[in-house]
Amino acid sequence: MSEKPRKRSTFDTMNEHLEEFDELADELMESAFPEGPSWNTETCCLQALSNVFITSREVIVTADLPNIEPETVKVEAVDETLIEITAKMKKKVRFADLGICHRQGEFSSLRCQDRVHVAVDAEKMKISFKGGVLEVRFPRKKRYEIEVE
Amino acid sequence: MSESVKIVEKKHVPSEATMIVGLPDVGLVGLIATSYLISELNLEEIAYLDSDLLPPVVVLHKGLPHAPLRIYGNQNLIAVISELAVPAPAIYPIMREIVEWGQAKKVKRIVSMGGIPVESRQAIKEPQVFGAASNQELLDMLSKSGLNIMNEGYMVGPQALSMRYSINKNVPAIAILAQSFYNYPDPQAAAIALKELSKISDVKVDVSKLLEKGEEIRLKARDIMKRTQEEMTRMKKSQEYDLPLYV
Repeated sequence: MSEKPRKRSTFDTMNEHLEEFDELADELMESAFPEGPSWNTETCCLQALSNVFITSREVIVTADLPNIEPETVKVEAVDETLIEITAKMKKKVRFADLGICHRQGEFSSLRCQDRVHVAVDAEKMKISFKGGVLEVRFPRKKRYEIEVE
Repeated sequence: MSESVKIVEKKHVPSEATMIVGLPDVGLVGLIATSYLISELNLEEIAYLDSDLLPPVVVLHKGLPHAPLRIYGNQNLIAVISELAVPAPAIYPIMREIVEWGQAKKVKRIVSMGGIPVESRQAIKEPQVFGAASNQELLDMLSKSGLNIMNEGYMVGPQALSMRYSINKNVPAIAILAQSFYNYPDPQAAAIALKELSKISDVKVDVSKLLEKGEEIRLKARDIMKRTQEEMTRMKKSQEYDLPLYV
């Protein structure tokens, strides 16, 4: 006996529209902010991979920093919500070292910038560096407590 | 056979081989481990995947074009890798085709290599490895070999589909998953996963070179990791952090 086709619900239709909307939003974002390469030959920087976690009390920024001199790590708050991390590499890396011969340039540092979307107190940041991964913890500014009546 | 994906064979494909699948995923653990196996065991390219669902990309190696999704092998081993972050919608037909092709080639078993994301990975000196299997017999074998069993939890992505389609097709399947960074390439986790693989199979490699080249791999893998992260978001990979409800 053949199975009766399931009637499409309103939720199915809504889901389809939402997926289409997501795809469209992705396309718009890509055309508005075209992706650049993960390197910059003018500043001799390679872009580091990084992450931002926001909790109710603090903001934790991590960055993968392989092949760097730990004592050269710099963490700067460009403004209240933009964090920049830079570090010098143990030795310069050329495109040729990465197997690329159709480009020229060499890189001496890793760098990343992360927008944290909430204000942080950069003066109270705590930094740790383990296994080539940097972790920076910033307390959040302006915490409000609402009293429960 | 899936119509949207086809596997094009270039050379003789062995039967009764173990098939290792290492597609880009959490920490690129599977991809790094499988690529290292291919290079250490000098496996030859025996086939590639062709599909209009993949972006129009070829990878040049020594000046010659290659498909980004390739299959390598020798008499006992088949290894599947992708040098491209597999687009989330394409992962279904691709994994279905890989499993069906493996069944047609009478593979002994399919082993998916991958990572389990852990939040405090940088605090872990030696990541643990967990296993899952498509049937009780295989699970007992993993357990007897000393592998930790992933008793409860969600798997999302290539390993999940490898398991799902293998059960459908009655192909024995295993997943070997090492604790790893979510979106940072993790060669150490890959090395540890390979060590565990050697305990449950005759695939044995010395991982010291992989550990030595760890920093270089992390630098080289930044771009594919970034693109893989975008696809992981699309396939809701973060569900692996969820606790399943089974009363």
